[in-house]
Amino acid sequence: MSHSLEPSRLMVALHALPSVLLQSAFFVVPLCMTIALSFQETQYYQVQWVWSLTTWTEIFTTYYYWKILFNTVLMSLACVGLCAMIGFPIAYALVTRFQKWQATIKILLVFAFLTDAVLKTFGWVVFLDQTGPANFVLNFLGLPDLPDWVIYSRVSVLFGMVYTLLPFSIFTIYLSVDMIDKNLLRAAYDCGASKFRAFYEVTLPLCKNGLMAGALLVFVLSLGSFLEPKVLGGGKNPMAAELIRQTFETRINWPLGSALTIVVISITVITILLASRLLDLGQGRKK
Amino acid sequence: MNRKFEARLINAGLVCSVILVLVFFYIPIFTLIMFSFKEGRILNLPFEGWSLRWYQQLFSNGEVGKAAVHSFVVAVASTLISTVIGLGAAQSFVRFSFRGKTLFQIVAMAPLVFPQLLLGVVLLLWFSVLGNTFDFSNNLFTAIMGHCVYLVPFTTIIIAVQAASFDPTLEQAAQDFGATPWEVFREVTFPVLWPGVFSASIFAFLLSWGNFYISYSLTGTERTLPTFVFSGMALGSTPLYPALATITFVVGLLLIVFAEGIRRRSLAKTMASPKE
Repeated sequence: MSHSLEPSRLMVALHALPSVLLQSAFFVVPLCMTIALSFQETQYYQVQWVWSLTTWTEIFTTYYYWKILFNTVLMSLACVGLCAMIGFPIAYALVTRFQKWQATIKILLVFAFLTDAVLKTFGWVVFLDQTGPANFVLNFLGLPDLPDWVIYSRVSVLFGMVYTLLPFSIFTIYLSVDMIDKNLLRAAYDCGASKFRAFYEVTLPLCKNGLMAGALLVFVLSLGSFLEPKVLGGGKNPMAAELIRQTFETRINWPLGSALTIVVISITVITILLASRLLDLGQGRKK
Repeated sequence: MNRKFEARLINAGLVCSVILVLVFFYIPIFTLIMFSFKEGRILNLPFEGWSLRWYQQLFSNGEVGKAAVHSFVVAVASTLISTVIGLGAAQSFVRFSFRGKTLFQIVAMAPLVFPQLLLGVVLLLWFSVLGNTFDFSNNLFTAIMGHCVYLVPFTTIIIAVQAASFDPTLEQAAQDFGATPWEVFREVTFPVLWPGVFSASIFAFLLSWGNFYISYSLTGTERTLPTFVFSGMALGSTPLYPALATITFVVGLLLIVFAEGIRRRSLAKTMASPKE
Protein backbone atom coordinates (compact mmCIF):
# COMPACT_ATOMS: atom_id res chain seq x y z
CA MET A 1 0.00 0.00 0.00
CA SER A 2 2.54 2.56 -1.07
CA HIS A 3 -0.05 5.00 -2.29
CA SER A 4 -1.98 5.16 0.94
CA LEU A 5 -1.10 6.79 4.23
CA GLU A 6 -0.55 4.18 6.89
CA PRO A 7 -3.10 5.29 9.45
CA SER A 8 -1.88 5.48 13.00
CA ARG A 9 -4.21 4.21 15.72
CA LEU A 10 -4.72 7.75 16.86
CA MET A 11 -5.84 8.82 13.37
CA VAL A 12 -8.38 6.02 13.12
CA ALA A 13 -9.69 6.73 16.60
CA LEU A 14 -9.95 10.42 15.88
CA HIS A 15 -12.04 9.77 12.77
CA ALA A 16 -14.22 6.86 13.85
CA LEU A 17 -14.69 7.46 17.56
CA PRO A 18 -17.15 10.38 17.48
CA SER A 19 -19.55 8.36 15.37
CA VAL A 20 -19.06 5.25 17.54
CA LEU A 21 -19.73 7.25 20.69
CA LEU A 22 -22.83 8.93 19.26
CA GLN A 23 -24.35 5.71 17.98
CA SER A 24 -23.57 3.80 21.16
CA ALA A 25 -24.86 6.41 23.56
CA PHE A 26 -27.96 7.35 21.60
CA PHE A 27 -28.77 4.28 19.54
CA VAL A 28 -27.35 0.98 20.80
CA VAL A 29 -27.72 1.58 24.54
CA PRO A 30 -31.25 3.04 24.26
CA LEU A 31 -32.23 0.03 22.18
CA CYS A 32 -30.91 -2.35 24.81
CA MET A 33 -32.77 -0.42 27.48
CA THR A 34 -35.98 -0.69 25.47
CA ILE A 35 -35.54 -4.46 25.40
CA ALA A 36 -34.98 -4.48 29.16
CA LEU A 37 -37.98 -2.25 29.72
CA SER A 38 -40.27 -4.66 27.89
CA PHE A 39 -39.64 -7.21 30.65
CA GLN A 40 -40.80 -4.90 33.44
CA GLU A 41 -44.23 -4.38 34.96
CA THR A 42 -46.40 -1.33 35.18
CA GLN A 43 -48.74 -0.16 37.90
CA TYR A 44 -50.71 3.09 38.11
CA TYR A 45 -48.93 4.42 35.03
CA GLN A 46 -45.56 3.88 36.71
CA VAL A 47 -42.90 1.46 35.59
CA GLN A 48 -42.11 -1.08 38.30
CA TRP A 49 -38.60 -2.40 37.89
CA VAL A 50 -39.57 -6.01 38.47
CA TRP A 51 -38.50 -8.58 35.92
CA SER A 52 -41.53 -10.38 34.52
CA LEU A 53 -43.08 -11.74 31.37
CA THR A 54 -46.51 -10.16 31.90
CA THR A 55 -46.18 -7.76 28.99
CA TRP A 56 -45.03 -10.40 26.57
CA THR A 57 -47.84 -12.76 27.58
CA GLU A 58 -50.29 -9.93 26.99
CA ILE A 59 -48.83 -9.29 23.53
CA PHE A 60 -48.89 -12.90 22.44
CA THR A 61 -52.46 -13.40 23.62
CA THR A 62 -54.04 -10.20 22.32
CA TYR A 63 -55.56 -10.65 18.91
CA TYR A 64 -55.92 -6.87 18.39
CA TYR A 65 -52.15 -6.21 18.36
CA TRP A 66 -51.52 -8.95 15.84
CA LYS A 67 -54.31 -7.67 13.64
CA ILE A 68 -52.64 -4.25 13.53
CA LEU A 69 -49.19 -5.75 12.97
CA PHE A 70 -50.54 -7.92 10.18
CA ASN A 71 -52.24 -4.91 8.63
CA THR A 72 -48.98 -2.95 8.86
CA VAL A 73 -46.94 -5.67 7.16
CA LEU A 74 -49.59 -6.05 4.47
CA MET A 75 -49.67 -2.31 3.75
CA SER A 76 -45.86 -2.22 3.70
CA LEU A 77 -45.69 -5.08 1.23
CA ALA A 78 -48.21 -3.36 -1.02
CA CYS A 79 -46.14 -0.18 -0.75
CA VAL A 80 -42.96 -2.08 -1.67
CA GLY A 81 -44.63 -3.58 -4.73
CA LEU A 82 -45.98 -0.25 -5.94
CA CYS A 83 -42.69 1.58 -5.31
CA ALA A 84 -40.69 -1.02 -7.23
CA MET A 85 -43.17 -1.04 -10.10
CA ILE A 86 -43.20 2.76 -10.39
CA GLY A 87 -39.57 3.32 -9.37
CA PHE A 88 -37.98 0.99 -11.88
CA PRO A 89 -39.22 2.58 -15.11
CA ILE A 90 -38.53 6.03 -13.67
CA ALA A 91 -34.95 5.19 -12.70
CA TYR A 92 -34.41 3.43 -16.02
CA ALA A 93 -35.77 6.40 -17.95
CA LEU A 94 -33.63 8.82 -15.92
CA VAL A 95 -30.46 6.95 -16.87
CA THR A 96 -31.26 6.17 -20.49
CA ARG A 97 -33.35 9.17 -21.59
CA PHE A 98 -33.31 12.86 -20.65
CA GLN A 99 -29.65 13.60 -21.29
CA LYS A 100 -30.32 17.31 -21.21
CA TRP A 101 -32.90 17.47 -18.46
CA GLN A 102 -31.43 14.84 -16.18
CA ALA A 103 -29.82 17.29 -13.74
CA THR A 104 -32.99 19.38 -13.44
CA ILE A 105 -35.19 16.34 -12.89
CA LYS A 106 -32.82 15.04 -10.24
CA ILE A 107 -32.93 18.36 -8.41
CA LEU A 108 -36.73 18.34 -8.57
CA LEU A 109 -36.81 14.80 -7.14
CA VAL A 110 -34.33 15.61 -4.38
CA PHE A 111 -36.30 18.69 -3.43
CA ALA A 112 -39.56 16.75 -3.27
CA PHE A 113 -37.82 14.17 -1.12
CA LEU A 114 -36.23 16.65 1.30
CA THR A 115 -39.38 18.71 1.85
CA ASP A 116 -41.09 18.51 5.22
CA ALA A 117 -43.24 15.35 5.37
CA VAL A 118 -45.93 17.03 7.45
CA LEU A 119 -46.40 19.75 4.86
CA LYS A 120 -46.60 17.27 1.98
CA THR A 121 -49.17 15.13 3.79
CA PHE A 122 -51.10 18.28 4.65
CA GLY A 123 -50.98 19.25 0.98
CA TRP A 124 -52.60 15.94 0.05
CA VAL A 125 -55.35 16.41 2.61
CA VAL A 126 -56.15 19.83 1.19
CA PHE A 127 -55.97 18.52 -2.36
CA LEU A 128 -58.21 15.51 -1.80
CA ASP A 129 -60.71 17.31 0.44
CA GLN A 130 -64.40 17.18 -0.48
CA THR A 131 -64.31 20.81 -1.66
CA GLY A 132 -60.66 20.71 -2.70
CA PRO A 133 -58.87 20.86 -6.06
CA ALA A 134 -59.22 17.13 -6.86
CA ASN A 135 -63.00 17.21 -6.94
CA PHE A 136 -62.96 20.64 -8.54
CA VAL A 137 -60.95 19.31 -11.47
CA LEU A 138 -63.08 16.17 -11.71
CA ASN A 139 -66.30 18.19 -11.74
CA PHE A 140 -64.82 20.55 -14.27
CA LEU A 141 -64.24 17.58 -16.56
CA GLY A 142 -67.83 16.51 -16.01
CA LEU A 143 -66.94 13.60 -13.74
CA PRO A 144 -68.45 12.78 -10.34
CA ASP A 145 -66.66 13.42 -7.02
CA LEU A 146 -64.00 11.10 -5.69
CA PRO A 147 -65.72 8.07 -4.19
CA ASP A 148 -65.73 7.63 -0.41
CA TRP A 149 -63.23 4.83 -0.43
CA VAL A 150 -60.50 7.08 -1.78
CA ILE A 151 -60.00 9.51 1.07
CA TYR A 152 -59.66 8.56 4.74
CA SER A 153 -59.28 4.94 3.81
CA ARG A 154 -56.58 2.36 3.23
CA VAL A 155 -56.29 3.54 -0.35
CA SER A 156 -55.30 7.06 0.64
CA VAL A 157 -52.92 5.75 3.31
CA LEU A 158 -51.19 3.54 0.77
CA PHE A 159 -51.16 6.45 -1.65
CA GLY A 160 -49.42 8.63 0.95
CA MET A 161 -46.91 5.92 1.82
CA VAL A 162 -45.96 5.44 -1.82
CA TYR A 163 -45.64 9.20 -2.13
CA THR A 164 -43.27 9.42 0.84
CA LEU A 165 -41.13 6.38 0.06
CA LEU A 166 -40.97 6.34 -3.75
CA PRO A 167 -37.83 8.55 -3.81
CA PHE A 168 -35.89 5.92 -1.85
CA SER A 169 -36.80 3.31 -4.39
CA ILE A 170 -36.02 5.59 -7.36
CA PHE A 171 -32.61 6.60 -5.95
CA THR A 172 -31.41 3.07 -5.15
CA ILE A 173 -32.56 1.63 -8.48
CA TYR A 174 -31.10 4.64 -10.30
CA LEU A 175 -27.67 3.95 -8.80
CA SER A 176 -27.72 0.31 -9.87
CA VAL A 177 -28.90 1.07 -13.42
CA ASP A 178 -26.35 3.86 -13.71
CA MET A 179 -23.50 1.54 -12.73
CA ILE A 180 -24.18 -0.94 -15.54
CA ASP A 181 -21.28 -1.08 -17.95
CA LYS A 182 -22.67 0.06 -21.30
CA ASN A 183 -20.20 -2.23 -23.09
CA LEU A 184 -22.14 -5.24 -21.80
CA LEU A 185 -25.22 -4.00 -23.63
CA ARG A 186 -23.19 -3.31 -26.75
CA ALA A 187 -21.81 -6.84 -26.57
CA ALA A 188 -25.35 -8.20 -26.30
CA TYR A 189 -26.41 -6.20 -29.37
CA ASP A 190 -23.34 -7.40 -31.27
CA CYS A 191 -24.36 -10.96 -30.54
CA GLY A 192 -27.67 -10.17 -32.19
CA ALA A 193 -29.85 -9.66 -29.13
CA SER A 194 -32.94 -7.51 -29.60
CA LYS A 195 -33.54 -4.54 -27.30
CA PHE A 196 -35.96 -6.57 -25.20
CA ARG A 197 -33.64 -9.53 -25.01
CA ALA A 198 -30.73 -7.31 -23.94
CA PHE A 199 -32.97 -5.72 -21.31
CA TYR A 200 -34.08 -9.04 -19.85
CA GLU A 201 -30.73 -10.77 -20.01
CA VAL A 202 -28.37 -7.92 -19.12
CA THR A 203 -30.03 -4.87 -17.59
CA LEU A 204 -32.59 -6.54 -15.35
CA PRO A 205 -30.27 -9.09 -13.69
CA LEU A 206 -27.62 -6.43 -13.13
CA CYS A 207 -29.95 -4.12 -11.27
CA LYS A 208 -31.45 -6.89 -9.18
CA ASN A 209 -29.39 -5.78 -6.20
CA GLY A 210 -30.60 -2.21 -6.55
CA LEU A 211 -34.19 -3.38 -6.76
CA MET A 212 -33.74 -5.55 -3.69
CA ALA A 213 -32.00 -2.81 -1.69
CA GLY A 214 -34.71 -0.34 -2.63
CA ALA A 215 -37.45 -2.80 -1.71
CA LEU A 216 -35.79 -3.50 1.62
CA LEU A 217 -35.42 0.18 2.45
CA VAL A 218 -39.02 0.94 1.50
CA PHE A 219 -40.35 -2.03 3.46
CA VAL A 220 -38.47 -1.19 6.63
CA LEU A 221 -39.33 2.49 6.52
CA SER A 222 -42.99 1.88 5.72
CA LEU A 223 -43.33 -0.31 8.81
CA GLY A 224 -42.86 2.91 10.75
CA SER A 225 -45.42 4.98 8.82
CA PHE A 226 -47.27 7.22 11.19
CA LEU A 227 -48.30 10.45 9.48
CA GLU A 228 -50.06 8.76 6.57
CA PRO A 229 -52.38 6.49 8.59
CA LYS A 230 -53.01 9.25 11.11
CA VAL A 231 -53.64 12.14 8.74
CA LEU A 232 -54.72 10.51 5.47
CA GLY A 233 -56.30 7.45 7.05
CA GLY A 234 -58.45 9.36 9.51
CA GLY A 235 -57.44 6.93 12.25
CA LYS A 236 -59.73 4.18 10.99
CA ASN A 237 -57.04 1.66 10.12
CA PRO A 238 -54.30 2.21 12.69
CA MET A 239 -50.85 0.90 11.87
CA ALA A 240 -48.10 -0.26 14.21
CA ALA A 241 -46.41 3.11 14.73
CA GLU A 242 -49.67 4.75 15.77
CA LEU A 243 -50.44 1.89 18.15
CA ILE A 244 -47.02 2.31 19.75
CA ARG A 245 -47.39 6.08 20.13
CA GLN A 246 -50.81 5.58 21.69
CA THR A 247 -49.47 3.01 24.13
CA PHE A 248 -46.92 5.52 25.36
CA GLU A 249 -49.04 8.65 25.15
CA THR A 250 -52.57 7.72 26.17
CA ARG A 251 -52.17 4.43 27.96
CA ILE A 252 -48.80 5.45 29.45
CA ASN A 253 -47.76 1.81 29.47
CA TRP A 254 -44.02 1.86 28.90
CA PRO A 255 -43.30 -1.88 29.06
CA LEU A 256 -46.08 -2.63 26.60
CA GLY A 257 -44.96 0.15 24.25
CA SER A 258 -41.38 -1.07 24.46
CA ALA A 259 -42.42 -4.63 23.72
CA LEU A 260 -44.43 -3.55 20.68
CA THR A 261 -41.46 -1.50 19.50
CA ILE A 262 -39.26 -4.58 19.86
CA VAL A 263 -41.74 -6.64 17.84
CA VAL A 264 -41.64 -4.17 14.93
CA ILE A 265 -37.85 -3.90 15.13
CA SER A 266 -37.59 -7.70 15.11
CA ILE A 267 -39.62 -7.82 11.90
CA THR A 268 -37.19 -5.25 10.46
CA VAL A 269 -34.07 -7.14 11.52
CA ILE A 270 -35.38 -10.51 10.31
CA THR A 271 -36.25 -9.01 6.93
CA ILE A 272 -32.80 -7.45 6.60
CA LEU A 273 -31.08 -10.72 7.52
CA LEU A 274 -33.20 -12.70 5.07
CA ALA A 275 -32.57 -10.17 2.33
CA SER A 276 -28.81 -10.15 2.84
CA ARG A 277 -28.85 -13.96 2.75
CA LEU A 278 -30.74 -13.83 -0.54
CA LEU A 279 -28.38 -11.27 -2.03
CA ASP A 280 -25.33 -13.30 -0.99
CA LEU A 281 -26.80 -16.42 -2.57
CA GLY A 282 -27.34 -14.58 -5.81
CA GLN A 283 -23.76 -13.36 -5.85
CA GLY A 284 -22.42 -16.81 -4.98
CA ARG A 285 -24.18 -18.36 -7.92
CA LYS A 286 -22.72 -15.85 -10.34
CA LYS A 287 -19.20 -16.73 -9.26
CA MET B 1 -40.74 -0.15 -39.44
CA ASN B 2 -42.50 -2.10 -36.75
CA ARG B 3 -39.42 -2.08 -34.55
CA LYS B 4 -39.01 1.64 -34.96
CA PHE B 5 -42.60 2.17 -33.92
CA GLU B 6 -42.09 -0.05 -30.91
CA ALA B 7 -38.98 1.84 -29.85
CA ARG B 8 -40.82 5.10 -30.18
CA LEU B 9 -43.69 3.79 -28.10
CA ILE B 10 -41.33 2.71 -25.32
CA ASN B 11 -39.57 6.04 -25.48
CA ALA B 12 -42.83 7.94 -25.17
CA GLY B 13 -43.96 5.66 -22.33
CA LEU B 14 -40.80 6.24 -20.33
CA VAL B 15 -40.82 9.99 -20.84
CA CYS B 16 -44.49 10.21 -19.92
CA SER B 17 -44.02 8.13 -16.77
CA VAL B 18 -41.29 10.49 -15.54
CA ILE B 19 -43.48 13.51 -16.22
CA LEU B 20 -46.42 11.86 -14.44
CA VAL B 21 -44.29 11.04 -11.40
CA LEU B 22 -43.03 14.63 -11.25
CA VAL B 23 -46.62 15.86 -11.37
CA PHE B 24 -47.48 13.37 -8.63
CA PHE B 25 -44.64 14.66 -6.45
CA TYR B 26 -45.57 18.28 -6.92
CA ILE B 27 -49.37 18.11 -6.54
CA PRO B 28 -49.38 18.70 -2.75
CA ILE B 29 -46.61 21.27 -3.03
CA PHE B 30 -48.42 23.38 -5.62
CA THR B 31 -51.72 22.92 -3.83
CA LEU B 32 -50.25 24.51 -0.72
CA ILE B 33 -48.59 27.31 -2.69
CA MET B 34 -51.91 28.12 -4.35
CA PHE B 35 -53.86 28.12 -1.09
CA SER B 36 -51.36 30.39 0.64
CA PHE B 37 -52.68 33.26 -1.51
CA LYS B 38 -56.31 32.63 -0.65
CA GLU B 39 -58.39 35.45 0.76
CA GLY B 40 -60.80 33.47 2.95
CA ARG B 41 -59.86 31.42 5.98
CA ILE B 42 -61.18 28.00 4.97
CA LEU B 43 -59.04 25.75 2.81
CA ASN B 44 -61.48 24.94 0.01
CA LEU B 45 -62.46 25.97 -3.48
CA PRO B 46 -63.61 28.21 -5.06
CA PHE B 47 -61.43 31.17 -4.08
CA GLU B 48 -63.15 34.35 -2.90
CA GLY B 49 -60.11 36.28 -3.99
CA TRP B 50 -56.36 36.45 -3.78
CA SER B 51 -54.48 38.14 -0.97
CA LEU B 52 -51.22 38.30 0.88
CA ARG B 53 -52.79 38.70 4.29
CA TRP B 54 -51.78 35.23 5.52
CA TYR B 55 -48.15 36.11 4.92
CA GLN B 56 -48.66 39.24 6.99
CA GLN B 57 -50.24 37.19 9.75
CA LEU B 58 -47.42 34.68 9.52
CA PHE B 59 -44.79 37.30 10.22
CA SER B 60 -46.72 38.80 13.10
CA ASN B 61 -47.49 35.45 14.69
CA GLY B 62 -45.33 34.92 17.77
CA GLU B 63 -45.95 31.16 17.93
CA VAL B 64 -44.70 30.68 14.38
CA GLY B 65 -41.68 32.85 15.08
CA LYS B 66 -40.79 30.86 18.16
CA ALA B 67 -41.21 27.53 16.36
CA ALA B 68 -39.08 28.84 13.48
CA VAL B 69 -36.30 29.87 15.86
CA HIS B 70 -36.41 26.44 17.50
CA SER B 71 -36.32 24.70 14.13
CA PHE B 72 -33.39 26.86 13.06
CA VAL B 73 -31.38 26.25 16.23
CA VAL B 74 -31.97 22.49 16.06
CA ALA B 75 -31.19 22.34 12.34
CA VAL B 76 -27.97 24.38 12.55
CA ALA B 77 -26.64 22.55 15.59
CA SER B 78 -27.44 19.07 14.32
CA THR B 79 -26.10 19.93 10.86
CA LEU B 80 -22.76 21.04 12.29
CA ILE B 81 -22.42 18.05 14.59
CA SER B 82 -23.57 15.44 12.09
CA THR B 83 -21.39 16.83 9.29
CA VAL B 84 -18.24 16.77 11.43
CA ILE B 85 -18.99 13.27 12.71
CA GLY B 86 -19.96 12.11 9.22
CA LEU B 87 -16.68 13.44 7.81
CA GLY B 88 -14.71 11.33 10.27
CA ALA B 89 -16.87 8.26 9.73
CA ALA B 90 -16.66 8.60 5.94
CA GLN B 91 -12.87 8.83 6.05
CA SER B 92 -12.67 5.70 8.18
CA PHE B 93 -15.15 3.94 5.87
CA VAL B 94 -13.25 4.62 2.68
CA ARG B 95 -9.60 5.04 3.55
CA PHE B 96 -8.72 3.18 6.72
CA SER B 97 -8.74 -0.49 7.42
CA PHE B 98 -8.91 -1.51 11.06
CA ARG B 99 -10.19 -4.27 13.28
CA GLY B 100 -13.95 -4.30 13.79
CA LYS B 101 -14.58 -2.20 10.72
CA THR B 102 -17.56 -4.28 9.58
CA LEU B 103 -19.27 -3.91 12.94
CA PHE B 104 -18.49 -0.20 12.88
CA GLN B 105 -20.08 0.12 9.43
CA ILE B 106 -23.20 -1.79 10.46
CA VAL B 107 -23.75 0.30 13.58
CA ALA B 108 -22.96 3.56 11.79
CA MET B 109 -25.50 2.83 9.03
CA ALA B 110 -28.20 1.16 11.15
CA PRO B 111 -30.27 4.29 11.87
CA LEU B 112 -30.81 4.60 8.12
CA VAL B 113 -32.91 1.43 8.07
CA PHE B 114 -34.62 2.16 11.36
CA PRO B 115 -38.18 3.51 11.32
CA GLN B 116 -37.85 7.11 12.42
CA LEU B 117 -40.82 7.20 14.73
CA LEU B 118 -39.45 4.20 16.62
CA LEU B 119 -36.05 5.87 16.86
CA GLY B 120 -37.83 8.82 18.42
CA VAL B 121 -39.72 6.59 20.85
CA VAL B 122 -36.64 4.63 21.87
CA LEU B 123 -34.73 7.87 22.49
CA LEU B 124 -37.69 9.32 24.37
CA LEU B 125 -37.49 6.40 26.80
CA TRP B 126 -33.75 6.77 27.11
CA PHE B 127 -33.88 10.50 27.78
CA SER B 128 -36.67 10.03 30.31
CA VAL B 129 -34.52 7.58 32.24
CA LEU B 130 -31.49 9.87 31.94
CA GLY B 131 -33.66 12.84 32.85
CA ASN B 132 -34.87 11.12 36.02
CA THR B 133 -31.32 10.38 37.02
CA PHE B 134 -29.71 13.68 36.10
CA ASP B 135 -32.80 15.82 36.55
CA PHE B 136 -33.58 17.34 33.18
CA SER B 137 -36.57 17.17 30.86
CA ASN B 138 -36.73 16.95 27.10
CA ASN B 139 -35.76 20.16 25.37
CA LEU B 140 -34.05 21.32 22.23
CA PHE B 141 -30.81 19.62 23.26
CA THR B 142 -32.40 16.16 23.33
CA ALA B 143 -33.96 16.90 19.95
CA ILE B 144 -30.54 17.85 18.56
CA MET B 145 -29.03 14.56 19.75
CA GLY B 146 -31.90 12.62 18.21
CA HIS B 147 -31.54 14.44 14.90
CA CYS B 148 -27.80 13.72 14.88
CA VAL B 149 -28.34 9.97 15.26
CA TYR B 150 -30.69 10.10 12.29
CA LEU B 151 -28.51 12.40 10.15
CA VAL B 152 -25.02 10.94 10.58
CA PRO B 153 -25.63 7.96 8.24
CA PHE B 154 -26.78 10.38 5.52
CA THR B 155 -23.80 12.72 5.88
CA THR B 156 -21.44 9.74 6.09
CA ILE B 157 -22.67 8.26 2.81
CA ILE B 158 -22.58 11.56 0.94
CA ILE B 159 -19.05 12.42 2.10
CA ALA B 160 -17.86 8.82 1.57
CA VAL B 161 -18.85 9.08 -2.10
CA GLN B 162 -16.62 12.14 -2.39
CA ALA B 163 -13.81 10.50 -0.39
CA ALA B 164 -13.86 7.43 -2.64
CA SER B 165 -12.51 9.49 -5.53
CA PHE B 166 -9.79 10.99 -3.36
CA ASP B 167 -6.20 10.64 -4.56
CA PRO B 168 -4.04 9.83 -1.48
CA THR B 169 -0.81 10.83 -3.27
CA LEU B 170 -1.86 14.44 -2.69
CA GLU B 171 -1.64 13.91 1.05
CA GLN B 172 1.57 11.96 0.66
CA ALA B 173 3.10 14.83 -1.29
CA ALA B 174 2.09 17.38 1.32
CA GLN B 175 3.52 15.17 4.03
CA ASP B 176 6.78 14.79 2.15
CA PHE B 177 7.08 18.56 2.03
CA GLY B 178 6.95 18.57 5.79
CA ALA B 179 3.34 19.41 6.50
CA THR B 180 1.98 18.40 9.90
CA PRO B 181 -1.11 16.13 9.93
CA TRP B 182 -3.32 19.10 10.76
CA GLU B 183 -1.84 21.12 7.89
CA VAL B 184 -2.37 18.20 5.52
CA PHE B 185 -6.01 18.04 6.59
CA ARG B 186 -6.54 21.79 6.37
CA GLU B 187 -4.72 22.43 3.10
CA VAL B 188 -5.31 19.20 1.16
CA THR B 189 -7.89 16.79 2.52
CA PHE B 190 -10.64 19.21 3.47
CA PRO B 191 -10.56 21.35 0.29
CA VAL B 192 -10.80 18.21 -1.85
CA LEU B 193 -13.65 16.79 0.21
CA TRP B 194 -15.39 20.16 0.49
CA PRO B 195 -18.07 19.66 -2.22
CA GLY B 196 -19.19 16.43 -0.54
CA VAL B 197 -19.09 18.03 2.87
CA PHE B 198 -21.11 20.95 1.60
CA SER B 199 -23.86 18.88 -0.02
CA ALA B 200 -23.95 16.66 3.06
CA SER B 201 -24.54 19.68 5.27
CA ILE B 202 -27.29 21.08 3.03
CA PHE B 203 -28.92 17.65 3.00
CA ALA B 204 -28.64 17.40 6.76
CA PHE B 205 -29.99 20.90 7.29
CA LEU B 206 -33.08 20.29 5.19
CA LEU B 207 -33.74 16.85 6.69
CA SER B 208 -33.46 18.30 10.17
CA TRP B 209 -35.50 21.39 9.36
CA GLY B 210 -38.34 19.28 8.01
CA ASN B 211 -38.04 16.47 10.52
CA PHE B 212 -41.28 15.60 12.23
CA TYR B 213 -40.91 12.08 13.55
CA ILE B 214 -37.97 12.61 15.89
CA SER B 215 -38.89 16.12 16.98
CA TYR B 216 -42.40 14.88 17.79
CA SER B 217 -41.00 12.64 20.51
CA LEU B 218 -38.05 14.65 21.71
CA THR B 219 -38.71 18.38 21.75
CA GLY B 220 -40.72 18.29 24.97
CA THR B 221 -42.71 21.50 25.27
CA GLU B 222 -40.62 23.42 22.72
CA ARG B 223 -42.26 23.06 19.35
CA THR B 224 -40.46 23.11 16.01
CA LEU B 225 -42.19 24.08 12.76
CA PRO B 226 -43.19 20.54 11.67
CA THR B 227 -44.68 19.70 15.06
CA PHE B 228 -46.36 23.12 15.11
CA VAL B 229 -47.96 22.42 11.73
CA PHE B 230 -48.94 18.94 12.81
CA SER B 231 -50.84 20.18 15.86
CA GLY B 232 -52.36 23.01 13.82
CA MET B 233 -53.64 20.61 11.17
CA ALA B 234 -55.80 18.87 13.72
CA LEU B 235 -57.51 22.07 14.85
CA GLY B 236 -58.94 22.99 11.47
CA SER B 237 -56.52 25.11 9.61
CA THR B 238 -56.25 28.42 7.80
CA PRO B 239 -54.07 29.49 4.85
CA LEU B 240 -51.49 30.45 7.49
CA TYR B 241 -49.99 26.96 7.17
CA PRO B 242 -49.81 26.97 3.37
CA ALA B 243 -48.10 30.37 3.59
CA LEU B 244 -45.55 28.91 5.98
CA ALA B 245 -45.13 25.94 3.64
CA THR B 246 -44.54 28.19 0.63
CA ILE B 247 -41.71 30.04 2.36
CA THR B 248 -40.17 26.72 3.40
CA PHE B 249 -40.36 25.47 -0.20
CA VAL B 250 -38.69 28.54 -1.66
CA VAL B 251 -35.81 28.51 0.83
CA GLY B 252 -35.34 24.75 0.44
CA LEU B 253 -35.26 24.87 -3.34
CA LEU B 254 -32.76 27.75 -3.30
CA LEU B 255 -30.46 25.83 -0.95
CA ILE B 256 -30.56 22.69 -3.12
CA VAL B 257 -29.87 24.61 -6.33
CA PHE B 258 -27.01 26.41 -4.57
CA ALA B 259 -25.49 23.11 -3.38
CA GLU B 260 -25.77 21.59 -6.86
CA GLY B 261 -24.09 24.66 -8.33
CA ILE B 262 -21.13 24.33 -5.95
CA ARG B 263 -20.86 20.61 -6.70
CA ARG B 264 -20.82 21.21 -10.45
CA ARG B 265 -18.29 24.02 -10.21
CA SER B 266 -15.88 21.82 -8.28
CA LEU B 267 -16.50 18.97 -10.72
CA ALA B 268 -15.64 21.27 -13.62
CA LYS B 269 -12.52 22.38 -11.76
CA THR B 270 -11.21 18.86 -11.21
CA MET B 271 -11.97 17.98 -14.82
CA ALA B 272 -10.09 21.04 -16.06
CA SER B 273 -7.12 20.97 -13.72
CA PRO B 274 -4.92 18.37 -15.52
CA LYS B 275 -4.80 20.62 -18.57
CA GLU B 276 -3.39 23.56 -16.69
